[in-house]
Amino acid sequence: MIKDIRASLLEERLNLSDFYNPQVLINMGPSHPAMHGTLRVMCRVNGEVVEDATCEIGYLHRGIEKLAESKTYHQWIVYTDRLNYCSALTNNIAYVMAVEDLLKIEVTERCQWIRVICMELARIIDHLICIAINALDMGALTCFWYLYHWREEAYTMIEAMCGMRLTTSYARIGGMSYDLPDNFDSMMAKFLKGLPKSIDDVEKLLSANRIWVDRTKDVGVLTKAECLDFGLTGPVARASGVDFDLRRDRPYCTYPELDFEVVCGVKGDVYDRYLVRMEEIRQSAHILAQCVQKIPKGPLWVDNRLIKIPAKQDVYNDMETLIHHFKIFMEGINVPEGESYNCVESPNGELGFYIVSRGGPKSWRTRVKPPSLLLFQSFEYSMKGAKIPDAVSILGSLNIIAGELDR
Amino acid sequence: MSKDGNAGFIPTRLDYAVKWAQKNSLWPFTFGTSCCGIEMMSTLSGTYDLARFGAEVVRFSPRQADMLIVAGTITTKMSPVLRQVYDQMLEPKWVIAMGACSSSGGIFDTYSVLQGIDEIMPVDIYVPGCPPIPEGLIHAIMKLQDVVQTGGKRPQMHKLTRAEATDAMSFRKGSQETLFDDSKPLKGQLT
Amino acid sequence: MSKLTPKLQAEQDRVQALVAEIYPGNRVERDVNAETVLWVNSQKELIQAVKTLRIETGLQMDRLSDITAYENIDGRDGPKRFIMVYQLYSMRFHARVRIKLAVEENEKVPTLTSFWRAANWLEREVYDLFGIPFEDHPDLRRIQMDERFVGHPLRKEYDIKDRQPFPDSLPVRIAARAPLVSGQE
Repeated sequence: MIKDIRASLLEERLNLSDFYNPQVLINMGPSHPAMHGTLRVMCRVNGEVVEDATCEIGYLHRGIEKLAESKTYHQWIVYTDRLNYCSALTNNIAYVMAVEDLLKIEVTERCQWIRVICMELARIIDHLICIAINALDMGALTCFWYLYHWREEAYTMIEAMCGMRLTTSYARIGGMSYDLPDNFDSMMAKFLKGLPKSIDDVEKLLSANRIWVDRTKDVGVLTKAECLDFGLTGPVARASGVDFDLRRDRPYCTYPELDFEVVCGVKGDVYDRYLVRMEEIRQSAHILAQCVQKIPKGPLWVDNRLIKIPAKQDVYNDMETLIHHFKIFMEGINVPEGESYNCVESPNGELGFYIVSRGGPKSWRTRVKPPSLLLFQSFEYSMKGAKIPDAVSILGSLNIIAGELDR
Repeated sequence: MSKDGNAGFIPTRLDYAVKWAQKNSLWPFTFGTSCCGIEMMSTLSGTYDLARFGAEVVRFSPRQADMLIVAGTITTKMSPVLRQVYDQMLEPKWVIAMGACSSSGGIFDTYSVLQGIDEIMPVDIYVPGCPPIPEGLIHAIMKLQDVVQTGGKRPQMHKLTRAEATDAMSFRKGSQETLFDDSKPLKGQLT
Repeated sequence: MSKLTPKLQAEQDRVQALVAEIYPGNRVERDVNAETVLWVNSQKELIQAVKTLRIETGLQMDRLSDITAYENIDGRDGPKRFIMVYQLYSMRFHARVRIKLAVEENEKVPTLTSFWRAANWLEREVYDLFGIPFEDHPDLRRIQMDERFVGHPLRKEYDIKDRQPFPDSLPVRIAARAPLVSGQE
């Protein structure tokens, strides 16, 4: 079998070395300066125009789905952070919501508001890093430093909430691991005061900039029909005119009570995707301002004693609570049979968790529906006819996170 | 050279000067794969500036770098690529294994994850954390600067040659023939 | 999402009723989120179902959300070994239908790439991790694992720590599926 592969590769090389039609095979390999991680693209290039491209993934395949079959539901929350590591909070919450659906429990009001705060914060930092890296790939280094400052501010807030900057593991089945800190309101007020002004500054740097517009307008156009064909959702689809947002169309948590707009583009090129993301950051800031006002005081955890992780004082003082704590962590929560699919609007699109449970503390099959896989598949298609520098712009605008792509 | 084996005044001063220059201008090759890569980018950005340690130039070319920071999970599919990058770097070179995944496989003890990059290359500094906070990476680089200056405590493992690394990466250590031999069943094949 | 708004709940009920009407003989059930699950009995029926669900005016399931599979090795979902799961979504009515098909080992499943290009890589992944072959797939080869990998990792019998490292990395094949530029004949 291996001999056949090598023979066919040799044949391919010999066929391509025609003098009058020189076509060069360029491998944009897994170790790539565009800081997108482990993506590999092999292009057949004629001059500078890419005639054909094949994408290869799997360089970060860690077997997370297989691990779900040997870890309890709680233990797997840690792995969900490592999927879309730019917005880890969204993954945690989406997974935990899927398990709660299987358990048929409903979390408290306060918990739902905190989850919305987490998801919007994650959306802001993911969009910030996407725009920063996109700009960096095209040489606009200032935007990278500038936008990264706000990422650090958001990280400080997230660290105050749950103790960890990046791989948060904040959500728990039935609640959240910690309540919001006391100075959260003031931290958030400071964050929301400075962020829109910085976004405006970056827009002034980029939106009317001749170089930026030349490099991003009419580059990587995906029409509405193509988006639907590739199954794309999220800012990329919205920039092409597909008016679909799970927060508005299939609302979850407390999104029905929030007032926000869904941003749609017209053309579907890289410029539109950039504008859509910028506006979504502003909308998320608006949502966060509303959440901080509307969040009620109340219990954080669900009332079910078999699922709720008890407070440490109770564990040390009460026998029954000690036993519950022991059973939850040593054995796992007993989840009834059934299957559930829960999807949320992650910054990349529709992120779904499909859990098949045959009863017991471990799942039978957990499937992550990754938005990045479908996005990268459309990249193969977008590359054809584009030049190599355009390919770099398009890749930056698609926001491919390798952790989610390969799992 | 003097009678007791001392190298003499000027070569030691020169040696010190060369090592001082090397330690203060470590150019990193940032091999960022997953989550640790994002924290590495945070370290390179304004708040935890790595440029003040001499890592101003982050050139993504192994020929121009002298420090390899492996940040993120290295899978078995990626390990030949990593080894090739390491081979392409010129001496002197140092390797920092950033994070739990590159030090030891981390939380992923699965069928496709390399359990630590020290299976395929000698590592100077291991940084614990998942991901390590930027201060942790800066601490590691400062420790590496001490290593460069004193020139001591290089890794226990001798430098792996390409052949030895290939053998370590081979399916069934020591028996590369079975890879191309269809008569013997391979591990994992359904019978 | 356990708390669907009443309008969406009504939509999902309507979708389930409509699907049960179109397929009176098949098993139509609901999962914990009240989403419709349609069990199809054969490969031909799968293609028919996808076509019908796509063009039916009351359903308009025009986006493919996900293709996956799970193993039925303990036999709780029937006698066959794998269950293929297709998730279809209607952008007009915002409702979801899940189609399930039971397949035996090495039994071929028809590909959905002619309906949606999204199915291409999703099916390749199912083939790579489970070993279910797809017929008429334009480019069926491994996607996550190396091409020389032996076995299918997500099967229950594959040990999680069974590593198969390879000493070099294979170049990517383009010519496998792309026609050469004219003048190369």
